[in-house]
Amino acid sequence: MLNYLEILDRAQDGPYITEESWDLDKVAMTTAKKVGKYKLAWDPKKVITADPGLADAIFDAGLELAKELGCYSRSTERIIQFEPGELEDGLRRMPQSLVMGEGKDARTLFPRRILDERLPLIWAGNPGCPHPQELFKASVIGWAQEPIADMLTCGTLTHVDGREIRTGDPIEIIANRRELQILRQTLREVGRPGMGMLAAQSSVSELGDLAVAHPDYLRPCDAHLIPMLNELKMDHRNIARVVNSLEYGMRNASLVCTIVGGLGGDAPGSAVVNVASFILSNLTSLADYMLLHPIHMRHVATTTRATLWVENIVQQAFARNAPCIMVTDIYPKSGALTRELLYEVAANAIVITVTGGHLEGSGSADGLFPNGTGLETRFMGEVGHAAARQGLTLEEANKMVLQLLTKYEHIFDKPDGNPGVRLDEAYDMQFMRPIPAWQQMYEQVKSEVREMGLSTL
Amino acid sequence: MTEEEYEEMTEEDYIEEIKEIIIDGDDKAAAEVVEEALSAGLDPLVILNDGLMAGADVVGQRFETGEFFLPQLMLTGRALKAAMAVLEPSLQAAYAANPDLQQKTGTVVIGTVHRDIHDIGKNMVSSMLTASGFEVHDLGVDVPIKTMLTKAREVNADIIACSALLTTSMPVMGDLLKLLEATGERERFKVIVGGAPVTPAYAEAIGADGTAENAVAAVQLAQRLISENQ
Repeated sequence: MLNYLEILDRAQDGPYITEESWDLDKVAMTTAKKVGKYKLAWDPKKVITADPGLADAIFDAGLELAKELGCYSRSTERIIQFEPGELEDGLRRMPQSLVMGEGKDARTLFPRRILDERLPLIWAGNPGCPHPQELFKASVIGWAQEPIADMLTCGTLTHVDGREIRTGDPIEIIANRRELQILRQTLREVGRPGMGMLAAQSSVSELGDLAVAHPDYLRPCDAHLIPMLNELKMDHRNIARVVNSLEYGMRNASLVCTIVGGLGGDAPGSAVVNVASFILSNLTSLADYMLLHPIHMRHVATTTRATLWVENIVQQAFARNAPCIMVTDIYPKSGALTRELLYEVAANAIVITVTGGHLEGSGSADGLFPNGTGLETRFMGEVGHAAARQGLTLEEANKMVLQLLTKYEHIFDKPDGNPGVRLDEAYDMQFMRPIPAWQQMYEQVKSEVREMGLSTL
Repeated sequence: MTEEEYEEMTEEDYIEEIKEIIIDGDDKAAAEVVEEALSAGLDPLVILNDGLMAGADVVGQRFETGEFFLPQLMLTGRALKAAMAVLEPSLQAAYAANPDLQQKTGTVVIGTVHRDIHDIGKNMVSSMLTASGFEVHDLGVDVPIKTMLTKAREVNADIIACSALLTTSMPVMGDLLKLLEATGERERFKVIVGGAPVTPAYAEAIGADGTAENAVAAVQLAQRLISENQ
């Protein structure tokens, strides 16, 4: 097994290349060649594919890409190269069981199979979404109080005591500690103190990450984010997060946000880049689990056809070739108190569940505004559980998702998106429950999805 | 292409070839064909407008409709830079002979602000601006505002374009505007801001000259600001 100090050495001593040349001559060109070699294509009418050969080809192309390129260190402008055997050995060693949280609230993550009837685990929250301090705790209550939630992810604080949080400033230390204090306190208040968390998100730089590696804040049974930069890149800031976890032991969530339409080109190339990213981040991020979050170049959301397809094929590629714990983000375009949000959540949850992922979300309103509530998280979990229980075929699931797409795809043409309303406009804040209009919308859409064929919902 | 093949080309052939090479994003071929076209006596302004810019327009349109993706955009930006390096002396000579010919598109200093390392959106805007004929000085990511300002002064920029993907790095954009006020240079430079979390309301609140929701709109905004300045 590769010693992490060896990776640090390679980041210093690997071949030099400019970033522009890495992006274009290495990532873009090599990916295009792989897409051509394997004749990779996608059909927007099949966002859930029933083609094992395609999933395998995407995996093989991604593995080749990872072997040929390695990972770029932006800090040193060097390539961190790996021997093919090191990457393959890393894939064989990926965790097959991971306990998050503690006591009665602990959950065990596991790799899900395609059409797995075991229920996906539910990470509740609006990951990465900026929240004003006055809404943060209420948002967390909204997610954590949902019985279907297994673990908590969270948004970020934008201010601490009226002061703006700035990347790299000392206030990030206070911000992350404040975030963790609120999370831990809230979990105790809702009676789930041992719930596992993916947290420490209020500090973008490594400062906040270093500041909360303590059992009073982020426990070893919780997770923190180790992002891989677009595309196939790391830097010392993020490597510092990995190093910070070495003895302490907190769970490393390898976040890969491949841009669909970015350097990989169209959806198939983006999927290849995404696969290669996970294969590399497995070593560079010492990943305990993979956090899949493709971003659409224009629309951001994970609910476009292309991003749904990428989530589908990347999950199937790993489920068939290198089973690992895959948690997949739902980032809808729409926000609270819109029907489209619920349609988006349903479509995305079906795609993730039947193709081998656990569910995390929802990052409502593109995660830009605090316009998410516990209700759509509940719906995400309910749809995911129903899709797993019901034993849908991939074709049936695809048909359902296509129906749902017709219900919400128009929002991608809206110049201002479909952000909906803030939590405090969608919830009765005294009792922390949906206002009647939001509750009614949820019940109507749930009924519609049931009629579309998800009868166990 | 061989010397003999070049010799048989008409002016229309050259222009069509330049356009196609720009669309293909081949930097070496772009430099070569422009050199050959100049040797064949083509007007540098015709090469610029009917060849290079026309090709770049096609790429921009195909990107906008989703037919092209980021790599094509960046390759075209690179091919344009290579072609312009060859063309520039002839263009300058033509402008010196007849200053009325000079079409000022604008000079932009662009970068992702300090402590933010996200570059895809910034690269898209940078490539689109280059493809639209702007002189672009891309300072990369994690750029301190003093560096942006120093470069803007050095190249006599018309526009400073700042990108931020993080809500926690967005305040740096406001710092730049405050710095420009403090140095008395706010009127000298237009400032445009962008990035996923940046809204028109935010741009207005910090006193920027505008924001755009995508790379194509960013070019339109830059063109509008330049034209207002003239």
